[in-house]
Amino acid sequence: MKRDDYLVFLFPSVSHALKAEKILRTAGIDHKLIPVPRHISSDCGVCLRLAPGQRDAVAKLLKGRVDWEAEAPLSPQG
Amino acid sequence: MEMTVDARGLACPQPVIMAKKAIEENERITVLVDNAMAVENIRRLAVKLACGFSSREREGEVWELSLVRTGPLAETTDATAAPAASAADDDYLSCRIPPGKDAGPLVVVLSDNHMGRGDDTLGDILIRSFIHTLLQLKPLPATIICYNAGIKLAVKGSAVLDDLRELAAAGVNILVCGTCANYFDLGGEVAVGQISNMYDIAETMAGAGRLVRP
Repeated sequence: MKRDDYLVFLFPSVSHALKAEKILRTAGIDHKLIPVPRHISSDCGVCLRLAPGQRDAVAKLLKGRVDWEAEAPLSPQG
Repeated sequence: MEMTVDARGLACPQPVIMAKKAIEENERITVLVDNAMAVENIRRLAVKLACGFSSREREGEVWELSLVRTGPLAETTDATAAPAASAADDDYLSCRIPPGKDAGPLVVVLSDNHMGRGDDTLGDILIRSFIHTLLQLKPLPATIICYNAGIKLAVKGSAVLDDLRELAAAGVNILVCGTCANYFDLGGEVAVGQISNMYDIAETMAGAGRLVRP
């Protein structure tokens, strides 16, 4: 898969990202915690990188349990 | 109009000052320099001024640098006439030795599986982000050394195993402390790099141009 096919979920805080990661890990959904890409924000934050096909499953899992701020394509670098 | 600046034989910061003056007066300039520091400083100047930049190494330690304006110059004031500008703004005037082929290799030391002290949950996030970001460094580190709890980053199940494998595939030499793997009873679990010893580790660290320890 090309790197720019990835999608990132952005969270309001590091704690939100960690909580979401735990939920995904428990559910066995492939993911990766990465620094928020520079082109999205210069904040020193972290976000969750996902394969594009997992977007709906992840949104369904997180809904009502962890708030997220935005979803964005991960490009140009991963 | 094109102009050629011959800055060969001149000491830092003379070449970058001449280049700056020339690009302020011309759309496109060529600068001839004969040392890596001048190349690096003029490259930074081009970034600062938002100019196009290319360099070509000629024979005999001479570089031919091209700067092209792509629009209005991002900064047209004379650095010396703007005392308010911070030191970072005038980075291109720096005369320190640039990291390059003359310096030793860049070595990253992972001495712990956390980054920084204070909170291990946070330190875990930070080290994962750090290692992922190493992939985007140019140039990549020559060697990554893992010792003490740092070897836990290189074993099966590690959250950064994919990043370390990608670094290894890109040519980064990853040394994993054998004594440490043995101590943590993880000898059979090391999943990237090569098991190494203190001779190699000490020699690599001592020979590094820069040593980075997150």
